[in-house]
Amino acid sequence: MHIADFRAKLNAWLDAHHAELAAPFAPPGTLDQRVAQMQRMKSVLFEADWMRYGWPEHVGGLGGSPMLRTELGAALAGRDLADPGLFSLIEVLAPTLIDFARPELAAEVVPRLLSGAEIWCQGFSEPGTGSDLSSLSCRAEPDGDPDTASTWRINGQKVWTSLAQYAERCVLLTRTGPADSRHRGITAFFVDMDTPGITVAPIEMINGMHEFAEVFFDDVVVPADRMLGELNGGWSVAMSILPYERSSCFWQRIAYLYRRLEMIVEVAPDDDRAAEVIGNAFLHLHMLRSRSRVTQHRLADGATLGAETSIDKVLVATGDHIVYDAARRLLPGIVEMDDSDAGEMWRTEYLYSRAATIYGGTAEVQRNIIARRLLDLGTDA
Amino acid sequence: MDAAERSLLHETVRDALAGGRTGSGTAADAVLTELGWLEMLGAEPRDAIDIVFTTLGETNTVATALDDVVITALGIEPSADLTVVLPPFATSNFPGRITDGEVHIVGLTGARIGRVSRVVVACESDVGIQRVMVPAAAATAAAVRGVDPDGGFHLIDIHHDAVDAVPVEPAVWIDAVAAGRRAVAHQIAGACRTMLDLARTHATERVQFGRPIAKFQAVRHRLAEALVAVEALEATLIAAWDEPGPMTAALAKATAGRTARTVGAHCQQVLAGIGFTTDHPFHRYLKRTIALEGLFGSTETIVLDLGRELLAQRRVPTLIEL
Ligand SMILES: Cc1cc2nc3c(=O)[nH]c(=O)nc-3n(C[C@H](O)[C@H](O)[C@H](O)COP(=O)(O)OP(=O)(O)OC[C@H]3O[C@@H](n4cnc5c(N)ncnc54)[C@H](O)[C@@H]3O)c2cc1C
Repeated sequence: MHIADFRAKLNAWLDAHHAELAAPFAPPGTLDQRVAQMQRMKSVLFEADWMRYGWPEHVGGLGGSPMLRTELGAALAGRDLADPGLFSLIEVLAPTLIDFARPELAAEVVPRLLSGAEIWCQGFSEPGTGSDLSSLSCRAEPDGDPDTASTWRINGQKVWTSLAQYAERCVLLTRTGPADSRHRGITAFFVDMDTPGITVAPIEMINGMHEFAEVFFDDVVVPADRMLGELNGGWSVAMSILPYERSSCFWQRIAYLYRRLEMIVEVAPDDDRAAEVIGNAFLHLHMLRSRSRVTQHRLADGATLGAETSIDKVLVATGDHIVYDAARRLLPGIVEMDDSDAGEMWRTEYLYSRAATIYGGTAEVQRNIIARRLLDLGTDA
Repeated sequence: MDAAERSLLHETVRDALAGGRTGSGTAADAVLTELGWLEMLGAEPRDAIDIVFTTLGETNTVATALDDVVITALGIEPSADLTVVLPPFATSNFPGRITDGEVHIVGLTGARIGRVSRVVVACESDVGIQRVMVPAAAATAAAVRGVDPDGGFHLIDIHHDAVDAVPVEPAVWIDAVAAGRRAVAHQIAGACRTMLDLARTHATERVQFGRPIAKFQAVRHRLAEALVAVEALEATLIAAWDEPGPMTAALAKATAGRTARTVGAHCQQVLAGIGFTTDHPFHRYLKRTIALEGLFGSTETIVLDLGRELLAQRRVPTLIEL
């Protein structure tokens, strides 16, 4: 299907089914409400096939360009039907399973993620491991010879794992090589969160939500056929997330930011000070959208995305700050002193927007990558 | 044109223009004529404008190709004997005003004013927008030294009979401004690329505290910031051609102004003392972008206009789709 036709049909369908899809509560709602709403919406969209376009047939999809699912995510975000932060976890995790899991496993579980039957989480960060991901230490030991072992035993801790308390599964990075083996000694597993030995302790975030958690692994036994990719090949699994995170997820986030700026524009005072703030935010969003569009066209044309997407990441993160800063400037008090639902929404989102320069690689790490890989300035040591 | 043809043409134009940075633009104009600039502009305007203006920016060359772009957009056959008056600096106002059968023109031109016989001007009047052709001899044209004495800019003042005034649709002037903005944005993008190249090279060669300054994270992050800005600008130019219209052109031009400031500031800081001298080429690029930023509206006025438009509509248009 041509992308413009798809978009037109999708929008017509979403218009017609708005009542069915919309959240039955005022935004932002509690996290429980938001997660339940997302899953319900995914199941409606899966039934109607929209959630299946752009995903391969062998995992329950209908095939076609991944841009189709990008359009869906953006349409939902632009209509305020999905929180792109939660919704786009699909884009971060499903492609990993498709590319690295046994085909039967991918065929079994990916449809469950798409249809809203399951939530998955990403266990990468640890108390001692943030930006320097290759330093992680959560340990996986084979029961017997690593090449023939039928199970692996996991011990260690993850932290800031988004939605861990809701998740049925986790894409987990573990240390399987010597402690100092860095990125050469990491292996990825697909772990059921109800496996004995896993404890999840939600953490309250700066905006009051408990969206991420600590996850403890205490002698957790995982079948060897849950290994994703090769033994000690976990680094390429982790890196494979980049192209989708940096294309589809961003396009969804961008659609959401346009909608948020529009909400400001709908009520802002009609004066030159407001016009300046709005004009500047619009300029940045357009820059970001233009860049992201180029990136996605490159991906669709078969390019392998790499370090150059750090530019997209810097622009998205900056855009997030700019839009919510505009809200504080033009809707004074809404974030700071307003206990209505609207105040609650802008406050939670304003506070959350500050994470944009932290998760998915911090602002500084992106600039390091740009300097080293794109400007070819050599190492900084 | 496919990608390979485009890059070949870009190389050809770059080689041909290398070293021609005089204020009159005659040398570069001759080179462009020889390369078939006007034919390219007619047949493949996007590639022609992208490649020629990017290269003018990259090589700090003065030519008068902007006249041809704007004149074409006004619906007139471009010619070496014809120049156009651009809006006064930092505005996109009409350069001309017709009252009582007289036209009064205040604006800018490029270097071509010194060698043409006719000048075309878009004017406002009580009966709408009109296009007037006046003899160049009627113009008081003062070459501006300003911040960029080599840029070929002239301040124009003309009082003349408004004979042969031709009514023009408002959309024609809007398109002409958009065409000018796209071209100037390409030129600024080219200049920004060169500023970044100069600073990058300097960072890898200049040694302080026993190592190249490119090893210092503060320096690296400034250059990274500059690259983000340049690449974003280039993306807005792609958008401005894929979805041509006044708004995408205005956004590209405002992004160009913003980018020039970001890139200029970071590169100047990295180049430090050497970049502060006129021995180093950096200053010419910086000054050219400062001058170009004011053509067809300053960054501030464009941003303000965009914001007012959004407020008037109470909408935020997404403009480009996948
Ligand atoms: C809302 C949110 C959701 C998240 N969800 C998940 C999730 O689902 N799964 C998961 O695994 N993780 C998740 N994370 C964790 C996230 O990936 C990390 O926070 C991130 O990688 C940064 O690590 P850190 O917080 O340990 O900061 P650190 O790496 O300790 O960095 C601290 C500061 O030092 C700077 N710094 C570090 N190294 C350098 C350097 N080389 N050069 C210059 N400056 C440097 C950083 O930029 C930062 O400013 C989430 C985080 C947030 C905020």
